[in-house]
Amino acid sequence: MDVSQYLDIFIDETSGHIQSLSDNIMELEKEPDNKDVVNEIFRAAHSLKGMAGTMGFKRMQRLTHDMENVFQEVRNDNVKVNSNLIDILFKCLDAIEGYLDTVKATSNEGEEENEALIKLLNDYLAGAEGGEGAPAEAAPAEAAPAEAAGATGAADGPLYKRIPVDPELCEKLKGEKQLYGFTIHINKECLLKAARAFLVFKAVEEFGQIMAFDPSSGDIEDENFEFDFSFILSSESELEPIIESIKAVSEIDSVEAEKVTGEMYEKKAEEPAAEAPAPEAAPAPAAAAPAPAAAAPAPAAKAPAAKAGSKNQPANKPVTSRTIRVDIEKLDALMNQVSELIIAKNSLASQSNASGEIDHQTLHENIEYLERITTNLHESVMKVRMVPIESVVAKFPRMIRDLDRKLNKPMELVMTGEDTELDRTVVDQLGDPLQHLLRNSADHGIESPEDRKAAGKPEKGTIFLNAFQEGNNVIIEVGDDGAGINTDKVRDKAVERGLVTPEEAENLTQKEIIDFLFMPSFSMAKQITDISGRGVGLDVVKSNIEALGGDVSVKSVMGEGSTFTVRLPLTLAIIQALMVEIRDEKYAIALASIMNIENIPVSEIKYVESKEVIHLRGQVIPLIHLDKILDFEPKESEEDTMTVVICKKGDTLGGIIVDNLIGQLEIVIKSLGKLDNNKLISGATILGDGEIAMILDVNAVI
Amino acid sequence: MSDLAMYDVVEKEKKQYIVVKIGGEHYGIDISYIDNIVRMSKITRVPKAPSYYRGVINLRGEVVPVMSLRRRMNLDDDEFTDASRIIILKLDAGGLMGVIVDEVKEVLSLSEDDIEAPTSTLKSKNSFINGVGTNGDELISIFEISSIIGENDAS
Repeated sequence: MDVSQYLDIFIDETSGHIQSLSDNIMELEKEPDNKDVVNEIFRAAHSLKGMAGTMGFKRMQRLTHDMENVFQEVRNDNVKVNSNLIDILFKCLDAIEGYLDTVKATSNEGEEENEALIKLLNDYLAGAEGGEGAPAEAAPAEAAPAEAAGATGAADGPLYKRIPVDPELCEKLKGEKQLYGFTIHINKECLLKAARAFLVFKAVEEFGQIMAFDPSSGDIEDENFEFDFSFILSSESELEPIIESIKAVSEIDSVEAEKVTGEMYEKKAEEPAAEAPAPEAAPAPAAAAPAPAAAAPAPAAKAPAAKAGSKNQPANKPVTSRTIRVDIEKLDALMNQVSELIIAKNSLASQSNASGEIDHQTLHENIEYLERITTNLHESVMKVRMVPIESVVAKFPRMIRDLDRKLNKPMELVMTGEDTELDRTVVDQLGDPLQHLLRNSADHGIESPEDRKAAGKPEKGTIFLNAFQEGNNVIIEVGDDGAGINTDKVRDKAVERGLVTPEEAENLTQKEIIDFLFMPSFSMAKQITDISGRGVGLDVVKSNIEALGGDVSVKSVMGEGSTFTVRLPLTLAIIQALMVEIRDEKYAIALASIMNIENIPVSEIKYVESKEVIHLRGQVIPLIHLDKILDFEPKESEEDTMTVVICKKGDTLGGIIVDNLIGQLEIVIKSLGKLDNNKLISGATILGDGEIAMILDVNAVI
Repeated sequence: MSDLAMYDVVEKEKKQYIVVKIGGEHYGIDISYIDNIVRMSKITRVPKAPSYYRGVINLRGEVVPVMSLRRRMNLDDDEFTDASRIIILKLDAGGLMGVIVDEVKEVLSLSEDDIEAPTSTLKSKNSFINGVGTNGDELISIFEISSIIGENDAS
């Protein structure tokens, strides 16, 4: 079966299950006795195992299988949940994610066996049940069949010495002149093991006669064996040429061979297994039982894996998830609007067919109708592209838990508004900056428990992440109730690094000081930890967010904590804009950033620190001469009043002076191609008459 | 027969160039870079862009930056006439870019033998030329597209 076509779905669903596992394990840590959670975990682990098995990802399947075993025991109250187990489980989740990453990158699961983890899991099971004996024995034995089977091969010397020989054959063996014992190890990647075995037999039969097999010849033909098999050959030839001819068969890893005698087997046949050398006794029976069981599913799982691998491997191209899950209701709405669009088209068509004369009244109505539909359609398509930010923030509680352990600072993450929706492309880019801000809060923000106690705060620090929609923006606040930013220290550091002179530093506002934190390689960490403090930080966060068309601001109160506010545009491609005119050029200003528009007499301009401002309803708003910024010649004749578009950027206001207002328009944002790295212009749009208008980047202007 | 075969080989090495005129000189642009040649249309200024970018045009609903080759090569500023054209180039990185030329003359096939590498005196630091071809008496400077559209500010 070719499963490569299901790879996308597999990746998608596996990430879902991993996330659900992670959430529920966190939950389990809080409420170890909650049976619903355990059931949920069990289901997710089971689905993971099933999917990995279907796709032929054997190693992944094995790990999930063992995790499932643990959950099974937890469900049956045989194992108690403690933080040690939770740690192990999280490590397993990391390993599964590792597999998934490898699958994404190469369409295959890779070579990592994670033996150590599997051992941890099984040890935990065994440890928990130690006293009960029998079930404990069964569980790990069953859980690790491959391990046991592998052990027999590796640990106990050449297998050909243990070929079971019945007394009758033994007599025959004694009659032969010269006997050799062989154990052949086939390459683990080999697909047609039986064929290789056949070739080996064919090769050696030129030298003599095979007297005994292990496993039996029938099992070998049916591929009912792991990666090795043994046989006894009666031959008059030397050993070397025989080994050479076996090695000539491809995909043979190694050949063990030695001269043997019938007597060696006679001894064994007579003495029961109990008398066999001590180290052999223990693993052998254990291996015997599960080995066939393991062998049976192994080829089955192996075959599709190899097939999927071989299909995909030549290109070996990374599989990135380009899919998006859409609520069926959103699609229905889209469908309805498309049918309305068709109706609108038909009524326009019938009108043009009806007669030569055009009824302007009806035409106008139809165009209005069409306009309404296209607006709705745009909205619906945008909604389809919107996904909750949950997909990125869901991993954070786990991350904070890990940091809690690592930094020895008790803290918890409180999140609200995970269902806030944003454009898919934005959400995908959001993970890293948010993660960075959270790490920042955990590392620098939250104080040590002792300091917190001294400051009269609860020992457990709180980090919060609040997301909500505000107009056409989505706001994500990340903050903590920690020490806050010590602006004095930041200022000293800025002076020390020569960014400002000590005199200048005295006059800096708190905001200006905090802005230093966003400068490249400006780290406040006293020592470099591996969590944060390498100086590649807030500046990267800032540029990442700005690349998405958003911005970051900080509020901080000493002793009470700091809050980083990330503001992002709701959608990217189409916006409502105010069209303005400056001289003979047209510019678009995103409506979302406009507060209001005022006609203000020139005489009302006041000066603060020799900057032009206006005083409006109790607020002092700096004025921005757009014509100056955009390199126009100054106006020849000054007018009495000016048109001021008052825009906001976070909490900052600015009044942009324009020549004329044209009106509101829904515009499609186009890239400027080579000229895209423009500071003042965020893009261009094509107007109804084919003319191009630049879109002003208000954030850069204010 | 052997003559015919020889002819084939030579033909393969020939590349086609669009020959354009800028300020009295002839320049060749490798035809494989060219997406389209359009008449002058309204160019919208982009504030704060490098001066040799005249702005952007609307090309079939896409916004395409347009560069003045005269400004890029520090020649006299453009004078748009009926013969002026914008040559739309395909960029390696994807996307399009237009360059303004005074006139489009012809399409020419030149083999590598017809093109000489510029001598060191010709090849100044700010050169956008990677060879000089001959067509009869005419000299045709071959543009190196990557250096024209490159980020290095030569102006």
